[in-house]
Amino acid sequence: MKKIKKSDLNKLLSQWQQKYSVFAPSNHGVVKMTAWDGKDTTFLDWYRNTVVPPKNNFLPGMEKMFDIKKDAGYKLEVTADDTKQLIFGVRPCDARALALIDVNFKDGYEDTYYLNRRKNGLLVGLGCTSPCASCFCTSLNIHPAESQDVDVMFNDIGEELLIAEVTDKGKELLAASSGLSDATAADEAKAKEAKEATFKKVTRKINTGEIKERLMPSFENEEYWKNVAAKCVSCGICTFLCPTCYCFDINDEQSKGEAARFRNWDCCSFAVYTKMPMENPREEKWRRVRQKVNHKYNFFPMIYEQIACTGCGRCIRQCPVNWDITQVLSTLPEKAKA
Amino acid sequence: MVVRDISQRKRFLNSGNVYLPHIAVIEKIIEETPTIRTFHFNIKDDKVREQFTFESGQFAEYSVFGVGEAPFCISSSPTRKDHLEVAFQKVGRVTNAMNRLAVGDEIGFRGPYGNTFPMDYLKGKNLVFVAGGIGMAPLRSLIWNVIDNRAKYEKVTIIYGARSPDLLCFKYDLTDWQKDSSLNTVVTVDRGTPDWKGNVGFVPAVLEKTAPSANNTVAVVCGPPIMIRFTFPVLDKLGFKPEQMITTLEKRMKCGIGKCGRCNIGDVFVCRDGPVFSYAEIKGLASSEY
Repeated sequence: MKKIKKSDLNKLLSQWQQKYSVFAPSNHGVVKMTAWDGKDTTFLDWYRNTVVPPKNNFLPGMEKMFDIKKDAGYKLEVTADDTKQLIFGVRPCDARALALIDVNFKDGYEDTYYLNRRKNGLLVGLGCTSPCASCFCTSLNIHPAESQDVDVMFNDIGEELLIAEVTDKGKELLAASSGLSDATAADEAKAKEAKEATFKKVTRKINTGEIKERLMPSFENEEYWKNVAAKCVSCGICTFLCPTCYCFDINDEQSKGEAARFRNWDCCSFAVYTKMPMENPREEKWRRVRQKVNHKYNFFPMIYEQIACTGCGRCIRQCPVNWDITQVLSTLPEKAKA
Repeated sequence: MVVRDISQRKRFLNSGNVYLPHIAVIEKIIEETPTIRTFHFNIKDDKVREQFTFESGQFAEYSVFGVGEAPFCISSSPTRKDHLEVAFQKVGRVTNAMNRLAVGDEIGFRGPYGNTFPMDYLKGKNLVFVAGGIGMAPLRSLIWNVIDNRAKYEKVTIIYGARSPDLLCFKYDLTDWQKDSSLNTVVTVDRGTPDWKGNVGFVPAVLEKTAPSANNTVAVVCGPPIMIRFTFPVLDKLGFKPEQMITTLEKRMKCGIGKCGRCNIGDVFVCRDGPVFSYAEIKGLASSEY
């Protein structure tokens, strides 16, 4: 393992910036992964997690799929985004979330737009030191300070950062980096202690045991779901800021002889999401809230045997009406009402 | 009929990018009803056109460039390779734009997607086709497929209805089928007109009166949800088991390949795992939102 002084992190990021588009947490009104300005590493002091998850770097809120050109006939032109991104400071929950999104975009038909960005991207993780009160990652088998879903993992050990390679891509990155020193056994012991302390700070828990079996009987319990959905205002913020939500819409735009097809994030909280000209299976709000909870904790696990939630807590922190998924999951009725 | 492992499916992909449509050219337009049209079209690229294959029951995503994309079944039969056909009703943004297109215009086409009617299961069986309005589009692909392989199947009954005589689609097919002595074709309308000489009555009622035997029979049903809801109980009364009732479901399917999320019924994506389901499968789904 390697290490680097916190005060030297900017030198390391600068090196990487020669080869990659480096993104790091910044706070310009909203905390998100932003193109690094070449000097600022003060986020090490204040950064807990971003508001906008790093999925944004791989599945942007809006992206052009192709240009539509018309001459004698139509011609479609794809401009591949081959940017080599390096995201610094990815939290373990968000790294896992990308691994979950990978599953959807790899299964069956491959989604070239997303997978191309993933192939060209490097994730540099940074272990948490002060999880939020709304975090519940440990209930989803995620350690707040450890990750196998990143390429390189950084951990805070006081004045220095401990650096561990995780993937081959990460190994290559570190091999080509200068200014790193070898970590000692004492450093590793310090990191271990810090990780354990962080793990204990995640106090919010949910019971994920047999979650599918507990959700299924309540599925047709309309009264329960109406109650759960009562205060939801269908604003969609929980979806847009969720690191594992990947649903999208495809739309064409045209003006003055120019046209293009775009992909945008979409959201199951919106009635229009499932609307067909003649009918809508999820017109009512409670059906949409039920879909949201069940997709993450029931349907996705039915298909892929993993829960599509990483306990990052954003949907709790950012909800304007304090809707809380952990509360929903802990108050599931024991049995379906007839 | 739910085939979860889609790697087993016949796939026809465009050089890597699944979202990139082929350009297709409209060769003929048929006015089926005042709001429903059929396009006869062909993929423009010779090589792609020659390699293209599909099965009855599959659908595709059709684009009007600059306006958008929408899913419709391929309404022609894979046994007739001269061109492809799609029927659509003018109801939304994309279909209204499609309605403004003329012969020679280009559309986008990507597919085929979804599963197919279970051809092996249908072999050697009596078949009952029950369709209403534009619901005949997917069945028509299967019916022509059956006619072109007539020896493989036993008795074939077709029951088709629309609200009024002018709303019957594929009238040219109905004429052919009524002339074909190997088929029992019953056409009905909810409300007749003075010059309408055929049956009058709702599709489920006419089905009950026609009373096809359930013995070694499969019923394939497609039409508006209200018709389907009233047809299944009639089939049940006639002795059909849920496994013997097949239908195709419709959802807002944006990507067509199980990625964009919206067409799920529980853990099943209609675009990827359907759109063809037996009633037995529908009853076994984790959600009743079909």
